[in-house]
Amino acid sequence: MASGLLVIALFLPLFTGLTAGDMRKAGRTFRRYIVWLLSFEVLAVLALVIGGQGTVLPLLKVAGGLQLVLRVDAMGSLFAVVFSIIWLLVAVFGFEYMAHEGKSQRFYLFYICTLSALIGVCFAANMATLYMFFEMMALLTVPLIIHSGTEDSYMATLKYLGYSIFGAGLGLLGIFFLAPYGGIGSFVAGGNLDPALLAGHEELALAMYFVAIIGFGCKAGLLPLHAWLPTAHPVAPSPASAVLSGIITKAGVLAILRMTYFVFPAELLRGSWVQAALLILAICTVFTGSMLAYKEKLLKRRLAYSTVSQVSYVLFGIFLLHPVALLGALLQFIYHALAKNILFLSAGAIIMKTHHTTVDKFSGLGRRMPLMMGAFTVASLSLVGIPPCGGFVSKWYLCVGALDSATPLIGMVGMVVLMVSALLTAGYLLPLVIAAFFPGRDVEVKRDLLPESMSVPLVILALLVVCLGLGAGWLAQPLNAIVATLFA
Amino acid sequence: MNGSWMIFIPVIAPFLAGFVLSQLRFEERRKREIYCTISVGVNTLLSLLMISLFRGEYVTLVRFTEKLSFSLRIDGFGAVFGTMVALLWFVTTIYAFEYMKHEGRENIFFSFFLMSYGVVMGIAFSANLMTLYIFYEMLTLFTFPLVIHAMGARDRHAGKLYLVYSMLGAALAFMGLIFVHQYGYSLDFTPGGVLNLELIGEKTELLQLIFVMTFFGFGVKAAVFPFWKWLPGASVAPTPVTALLHAVAVVKSGVFAVGRSIYFIFGSSFLAGTWAQDVTMLFAAITIVMGSAMALATPHFKRRLAYSTISNLSYILFAFTLMSPAGFVAGTLHMLAHAVIKITLFFCAGAVLYKTSREFIWQLDGMGRKMPIVFGCFTICSLGLMGVPPLAGFSSKWAIGVAAAACDSPMAIVGTAALIISALLTACYLFAVILRAYFPLNGFDYNSLAKVKDPNWLMTVPLVVLTGASLVLAAGMSPLSQWLATVAAGL
Amino acid sequence: MSLVYNVPFVSIFLSILIAVLCTLFKNGRNAQRLTFALWIGVAVGSAMLLSTLMFNGGTSFTYAAGHYPAPWGNELRAGPLEALFALVYSIVMLLSLSGGAEHTFEDVVEEKVSLYYTVMNLLFAGMLALIYTNDIFTSYVFIEISTIAACSIIMAKGEGESLLESMRYLIMYLIGSTMFLFGVVILYSITGHLLMEFLQKEIVALWMSGEYQLPLAASLALMLIGLCIKTAIFPFHSILPGAHGSATTASSAVLSGLLLESYVILIIKIFYRVFTPEIIASYHVYDIMFAFGIIAMLLGSYYALKEDDIKRMLAYSSAAQMGYIFVAIGIGTNAGAVAACLHIITHAFTKAMLFTTSGALIGVSGHSRDFYDLRGAAHRDRLAGIGFTIGAISMIGVPLLACFVSKLYIAIASLIYPP
Repeated sequence: MASGLLVIALFLPLFTGLTAGDMRKAGRTFRRYIVWLLSFEVLAVLALVIGGQGTVLPLLKVAGGLQLVLRVDAMGSLFAVVFSIIWLLVAVFGFEYMAHEGKSQRFYLFYICTLSALIGVCFAANMATLYMFFEMMALLTVPLIIHSGTEDSYMATLKYLGYSIFGAGLGLLGIFFLAPYGGIGSFVAGGNLDPALLAGHEELALAMYFVAIIGFGCKAGLLPLHAWLPTAHPVAPSPASAVLSGIITKAGVLAILRMTYFVFPAELLRGSWVQAALLILAICTVFTGSMLAYKEKLLKRRLAYSTVSQVSYVLFGIFLLHPVALLGALLQFIYHALAKNILFLSAGAIIMKTHHTTVDKFSGLGRRMPLMMGAFTVASLSLVGIPPCGGFVSKWYLCVGALDSATPLIGMVGMVVLMVSALLTAGYLLPLVIAAFFPGRDVEVKRDLLPESMSVPLVILALLVVCLGLGAGWLAQPLNAIVATLFA
Repeated sequence: MNGSWMIFIPVIAPFLAGFVLSQLRFEERRKREIYCTISVGVNTLLSLLMISLFRGEYVTLVRFTEKLSFSLRIDGFGAVFGTMVALLWFVTTIYAFEYMKHEGRENIFFSFFLMSYGVVMGIAFSANLMTLYIFYEMLTLFTFPLVIHAMGARDRHAGKLYLVYSMLGAALAFMGLIFVHQYGYSLDFTPGGVLNLELIGEKTELLQLIFVMTFFGFGVKAAVFPFWKWLPGASVAPTPVTALLHAVAVVKSGVFAVGRSIYFIFGSSFLAGTWAQDVTMLFAAITIVMGSAMALATPHFKRRLAYSTISNLSYILFAFTLMSPAGFVAGTLHMLAHAVIKITLFFCAGAVLYKTSREFIWQLDGMGRKMPIVFGCFTICSLGLMGVPPLAGFSSKWAIGVAAAACDSPMAIVGTAALIISALLTACYLFAVILRAYFPLNGFDYNSLAKVKDPNWLMTVPLVVLTGASLVLAAGMSPLSQWLATVAAGL
Repeated sequence: MSLVYNVPFVSIFLSILIAVLCTLFKNGRNAQRLTFALWIGVAVGSAMLLSTLMFNGGTSFTYAAGHYPAPWGNELRAGPLEALFALVYSIVMLLSLSGGAEHTFEDVVEEKVSLYYTVMNLLFAGMLALIYTNDIFTSYVFIEISTIAACSIIMAKGEGESLLESMRYLIMYLIGSTMFLFGVVILYSITGHLLMEFLQKEIVALWMSGEYQLPLAASLALMLIGLCIKTAIFPFHSILPGAHGSATTASSAVLSGLLLESYVILIIKIFYRVFTPEIIASYHVYDIMFAFGIIAMLLGSYYALKEDDIKRMLAYSSAAQMGYIFVAIGIGTNAGAVAACLHIITHAFTKAMLFTTSGALIGVSGHSRDFYDLRGAAHRDRLAGIGFTIGAISMIGVPLLACFVSKLYIAIASLIYPP
């Protein structure tokens, strides 16, 4: 029963995407079809997560003793739930938006099919399966970027593709070299490498781990392979940018999580040069991202840089190898996913309605599209880290974990950078909010509400941000349970 | 005599068939097609029959001296290669019928085509280094007329280059032959090698040098750096020829011969850990990256695929130079996967060329919608070549990567890094085509492609069959690699 | 002694006789027919001799000419090797001349055709004698005969170029013969013998005793250099392209394929029958030959590549092939000598084939030897084209054809030699 659910959860989006993409007109039937099936998908995932923990589904035997397997575990479930819910909401938003852009069917074909790949990434039981679905995800998102058909989008797609393949390739390199020590076996909380086989080769294993993290970190926007983000986001249609920033980057995060906690034993990493290096990279990314966002005038690119910065908060928490920090990281993951999606969808709404793409055109938008700006504000607050919106709690845990970790010095530096970044974030988001709601006397703005299909998802997402922020303590419990298994 | 002499039939019959064809000189196309189909089909069936019936029997046609004989023997490695050749030759013949309609002078083309079939089967079934060398030289001679078929200045130049490089390679391989004759127990292919270590004594360095020369000698046909220049030039030949040359016959023969040299003549234990291994691995790694880079830099469609072949062949060579059973298995898997995939890709390029006379990448905008079968197959096989799981190319690259990781030499790390870089470049140069074909830029006028459509069944059926074969191969990679591991166990 | 043992002497005698007879013929065709009949006869006889000797376990016999006992009389010596060479020579002569017959009748002035065959017969006699002789002075005599005959067949064409070339050829060859003569004279004066077996005994004795070292070395050097000039080894190869290139088809074939080799056969005989291999080795002759052989191989091929004229190219190819043979001998072992002999045989056939077919190709291309004019010649004369291709492939050394085997043996021989 549960494995049947897993099969459904895996293949339903693929089926939906292929059939929806085949439809001749992107009219009401099209939209209803997608909404129903994606909702069903969300339900399936929820049912699986609640009732089917531990289900295993072997897929295919590939050469070299390699087995592609799916398995439902707590960490994967978390990611899967977040992904599928947000995917549905963004899909709903996208109906009107893509009706303006054109070629909706083609867009939704690839958009929905990507969810299948993501589910595969979440529930992968070993690194090889994860790699396979990771590659599929990368390939399926390519048509989303080239969608608009301009010369710029073409170049951006090639850049995205190049970075993706290269990053995945580095990841693969790492996997190759960890394979002899058991690295391609099923994920085990706490590490699945065989210490007996590992003995004497620790340096090589660490180096390969580093390489793999850099590779997967490309997707997560980690320096130095982050450059695809600011190029791809402005050219892609906004729903695509939203999920690229909000969700796809988290797939990279998941890969890194799996590598760090489910393949490598923590004792090996803690205190090593690799941990220090990665922490420093994460910190640098946080800072650089925020700085570049602050200086950027193009709205979508500003948000892209913001993503680079914010996702590295999560990575920072992961690399600290401390339970509290990890808790903070997971919380940050949830909040950022929600918030960044809101921001990008809002940006999309703004572009659609006003045809302006720069950050100095926010005057009076609050009056023009109040619901949207409301959501935007909530998201901004969350990103900056102001209570009661979610971001505050996650940053708090990150800082606590940083100071308590095995590398307190770096942790302290990290904390400082986090503060600075928060300031910068405020600097690049709050003025927009203020300009929107307080445009000054001389600006006359009329109401120009968004259609419902666009504003409802925004509102839902914003509500989620607030509720989950207020209920952080309640949220922390299941997360703590997950974290505890990793640090047993 | 228990009938094992019959393994000579699939080798010699195509020669006769080709020669007869050159004398009969069919005027009517239909008759020629039927003749060729029957010849190739029967020979394919016979080959498969021989492979299944007479595994391991040593059959001598002519014995020159105690060590030198002209003999055939089908072992595991030969069986794999032979099966691959036999099946792919048949598919290519069907494709060639339609394609050669535009080229002309089909009688002489198909004569040499048939005779080359015999030669390659001979290579697959060779029992010793002497026989392999004989067929190797013959391969050059019989494929040469195919390369220069169109007889333009470009073709003649390409043919000349092909000849010169091939002869050079043969000269190097000849040195290997002589030294193995002197310092080996025999020239017969034996798992683990045939070198007489007592006789060699102190001269191991010399023998390692000879191995490197043999590697490059046979490697010329496998387009290893620095002897790759003939391959892109030869892509001016008619597409069935380039597909065959670049996927099946010539280049895979080169790779096959290198595999034979490493595992069945010199022996992996003699070579593993030596400077010879490092050098050959290095050159394979260089070729891997260089081929992919040049593919990316070339806007000519077929030439891009030719460079891609150069790169992929060195994947196989790299795997073989790992000098381990795992490397052997990985190399053979990629040999199979790449053969099927690359022949399909060339056929797609040929179909485009045949239908629209378009040679360059930038001319392919929007074709995806107009030639759905051709580009559909192209996409699937490209993904396979890029190494997207779970398609065939991924399994073989995975096997190569894992085998490399298990190898002690630091060169192996270099090689694996080269693999990754090449994967990136491969994605770029293949995706450039796919993106253009399916996502032409805004303002693209589909009316410019009004007359473009898929070619007829003679070309599309082979395409689809081959794509299907690559998928079947992907599914069957695991049992195949297990069976190959048993073959490799003797190494 | 059965009748077949007379074959060597009879072959030589008949050749000279028929040479004389040919002068009497007015009609060239009759001369041709007679000559061919002779050669067929010699071929058959040699074949019979060969088989007889092989059945007898491969021994050789000496044939005293004129019933004068040794060491004063003249002797022939025939073993399976000599018989084989004779067989090969007669077949190749036959084929070359029949292949080039049409051109012979075209190129040579009509009255002189029978004289041409006369000279060919003399050449044949000379070469056979070099193969069979056991006496060193006799070999000089027949060297001279073959030299003059060779020059004659070069200038048979009667054109300006061939006349000039034959003059150059004559000068070089006479220099060689003279040097050879000096060598023979010196050898005779220090040993008192002319028959090879006796010479050998004396030379070994001298060598052991340490007397007359300088004259011995000098005679060897003179004989060797003299013969080397005639084999057109580097650096004496410059006469080849002109002479072989400008001569008529049959002449080129014979000169390149047979004449050069016969001097090499004589060299081998001198090494093995007059001096012993050990003595030769102590003079480092093998090494010198090896070195020059390699240079000849490379330079000959290099010059051949630069040529646009097909016959000159083939001539340079001969120079290179002589290099191969010298390399094989220069290895210094028996295996090397065997390989050299094998290459002599395969080269004879292959080079004759190449010259004959190229002659035909030239014939259908307006008598031009230039590559440019030869384009498409194979389509005009299909048989010649196929023949040339096969000959070329063989010369390259592609397996399954003749020269591959001899090259293989040279290579193997070079490895067996302990370095």
